[in-house]
Amino acid sequence: MTRTAVVLCLGLLGLLIAGASPGGALMPPAGVIARDTPGDGGGSITVRWQPVVDAASYRIEAAADTAAFAAVGEVGADATEFEHEGVRDGEAHRFRVVAIDAAGNEAVSVPSAPVASRPQWFAIDLIGVAIAIIGLVAVVLWYIRRARRGEHLFIRRIAGLEAVDEAVGRATEMGRPVLYIPGTGYMSDIGTVASMNLLGEIAKKTAEYNTPIVVPVRDPVVYTVAREVVKGAYIAAGRPDAYDTGSVYFVVEQALAYAAAVSGTMVREKPATNFLMGPFHAESLILAETGAATGAIQIAGTDMVTQLPFFVVACDYTLMGEELYAASAYLAREPLMLGALKGQDMGKLVFMVILVLGTILSLLTGRDFTKILSTTGY
Amino acid sequence: MREKLPLALLIIMGLFGLAYRFMPHPGAEAFNSYLRDTLLRIISAFALILGLGNLLLRHAHRIQKREQDWVHSWVLILGFGLTAIIGLLGGVAGEGSLPTKVGNFSFNITDIYNGLLIPLGASMFSLLAFYMASAAYRSFRAKTWLAAALLLSAFIVMLGQVPLGYQISPAIPQVTQWIMEVPNTAAKRGIELGITLGVLATFLKILAGIERSWLGSGR
Amino acid sequence: MNWDRFASLDRRYIFLLMALVIIIPILVPMNITMGTMRVTQDLFDTVDAIDRTKQALMISSDYTPQTEAENHPMIIALLRHAFARRIPVLINALYVEGAPLLDQALKQVTAEFNARATSHADSIIYGRDAVYLGWQPPPIVPILSMGQSIRGIYPVDYYGTRTDSLALTQWTHNYDQVGIVVAITSGTSPLWYVMYAQPKYGVKVGGGCTAVNAPDFYPYCETGQLSGIMAGMKGAAEYEALVAEKFDLEDRRKATEAMASQSAAHVLMMVLIVIGNIAFFATRGRKS
Repeated sequence: MTRTAVVLCLGLLGLLIAGASPGGALMPPAGVIARDTPGDGGGSITVRWQPVVDAASYRIEAAADTAAFAAVGEVGADATEFEHEGVRDGEAHRFRVVAIDAAGNEAVSVPSAPVASRPQWFAIDLIGVAIAIIGLVAVVLWYIRRARRGEHLFIRRIAGLEAVDEAVGRATEMGRPVLYIPGTGYMSDIGTVASMNLLGEIAKKTAEYNTPIVVPVRDPVVYTVAREVVKGAYIAAGRPDAYDTGSVYFVVEQALAYAAAVSGTMVREKPATNFLMGPFHAESLILAETGAATGAIQIAGTDMVTQLPFFVVACDYTLMGEELYAASAYLAREPLMLGALKGQDMGKLVFMVILVLGTILSLLTGRDFTKILSTTGY
Repeated sequence: MREKLPLALLIIMGLFGLAYRFMPHPGAEAFNSYLRDTLLRIISAFALILGLGNLLLRHAHRIQKREQDWVHSWVLILGFGLTAIIGLLGGVAGEGSLPTKVGNFSFNITDIYNGLLIPLGASMFSLLAFYMASAAYRSFRAKTWLAAALLLSAFIVMLGQVPLGYQISPAIPQVTQWIMEVPNTAAKRGIELGITLGVLATFLKILAGIERSWLGSGR
Repeated sequence: MNWDRFASLDRRYIFLLMALVIIIPILVPMNITMGTMRVTQDLFDTVDAIDRTKQALMISSDYTPQTEAENHPMIIALLRHAFARRIPVLINALYVEGAPLLDQALKQVTAEFNARATSHADSIIYGRDAVYLGWQPPPIVPILSMGQSIRGIYPVDYYGTRTDSLALTQWTHNYDQVGIVVAITSGTSPLWYVMYAQPKYGVKVGGGCTAVNAPDFYPYCETGQLSGIMAGMKGAAEYEALVAEKFDLEDRRKATEAMASQSAAHVLMMVLIVIGNIAFFATRGRKS
């Protein structure tokens, strides 16, 4: 009787100890789901599972078809998702997740259903950006439509552009040429595209006033476009005979060598008016300061933020950032172009409202709303 | 046709370029690679030939007409020709068929690069320091309170960007860092936002055929 | 005092003064102590944390001889850091003009370390410890293509050797084996990596830029898209100091040598601005 009682007591004690130990046996991860990673170019499967108490880490294992499971990754205790990359598209894989505790005990989950990766045509993570672009396009098109209907659209005064007529007139009176520097960027830069549009408008004016225009260009592709732009402007102004084929010329591709050459042109030919429009880099101050030293009136415009201070200091008028893009619409005063300009402004207003609202919501809720317009969806 | 074909090409390529950003599919990447790695290089190569031809013709014309400083045009043409011949026939380090050494004087492309291009380029860049000083002396005026505040922050940043600022006070570089990280970043982001929207609007104007100056149509 | 003369001062006097304040500190060396900006320290820490058994440092460059004074010391400092930590280095040029400068930098730092090496294992061996991949135009091509295959876009290196025959490029397949890309630039190439390579391949990006372009990069440092930058010659000098201090190197530090001149030039600029303003207000008062 005494021995039986002792055994029973020991058994009870054992049960109590087992019951009192924290966590008990390690549970396998439940809810293991594998699916094709959405919005990617293929080759990736995402595995998700529910967290396991006492797990110190998870090992993810994969098996293709009837092959044996092999480890493909390991993540920490906080993770509940793993992206397995480098799989062949169309090949079915099964996954299982192994929970591992601090003592090294393992618990294996039930394998997931087979899943194959496939490339997608649309990156779903970028849906916010896509909606924003569509919204902006819609606003711009709406204002273009309003402009087509003949509505008057107010555009604020831009001092630098108001001075263009006066600047070209000054050159005409002094009998000296107009120098147009279309920036030192490439044709793929939107600033250069905007500069070409503006060059067209200014070349029309020089054609009308019979003032020589000189356009030294840094890039060969930009040279071909600038040549066509100036020629087309003279034709449009009804002065094809006044067009000088030597007025637009390629100089050299190195930016500072280009600056040296153009500085020499400024000092020799002493243009009365200098336009510096487009993307510029370190050479901007060399050009602007040399032009100021020759006594020319200078109107500059660039979308390169770091060069703006140099132009503000050395030039008489400076167009900042998007004012350069607005320049051709401002000068041409064509309703369609003004409509697009107005739409762009409205788009900016919408984004400003979104930014302010998003900031307030982020502060109030503690959640990050900037990811809505994130482009790091890949 | 002269306008319709370039416009049609522009619309197709422009829309693809916009859509590509949202298309992770390998098919889109393959087409984009073809445009980028093949077509773009071909266009750049032909444009370079066109530009160089124009450069040489222009200077030949200046020599022919004996325009002002026409002798410099000879310098350009001779320098262009010599460098091209030495580069094509002499090899990068003088290993080509054309001898590029006379006694101890070596004039292969590497020597031209080290002896001419680097010092000339560095000299041109160094002009910026002098021009900046003269522009600052001529134009930086505290005409208003805002301009005075700008000048003060400019002084702090100028000191913070050199070791002297740290020697005067370790707080100066910290204030400089704050100016660069907070007001500068805020202003820059504002301008960049406007520029980005302007880029998109300009792209739309070109795509919709509203902006056609680049076509040379005169419109 | 005749402030009219100052108001219309010939700019050549200014040029002469500037030349003197730059030349004199070079001829008369001065000891300069400087702190370290947070952005430079962040870049140093990120490079220092690379696991050299699994990843390499990639140095990408698009600077030209014009900005050699500011940018070249950055590459030298980075190479010294990498070689001192035995981190393998991949180098590529985004523009052809700067390509020979990278070759010079690699040869210079390799010679510095090999002069101190006491064994083959200690030495810097091209192909094992560093590979100069060369130049592939246009810049966007290698930036995107290296995410798939580095050897694919650079089948031969700068010297014409097949990259599949070099030990380093045999295991550095793409950005997964790159700890950080540090883009040394006189333009904005770090931002090309941030815009194109980072969203798609998740590679860390750092930068080395001219002082005039540094404001462009600070916002990206704030968001963590850039792991750090060397801003101008001072950034290069700071990085040189960090490397020299940590690894006890005594090689020549060109950016540090120029700091005295740069300090003097900045002071002169401030003095000129003050004089210019005094002259302006003095003569304006008289004219009105």
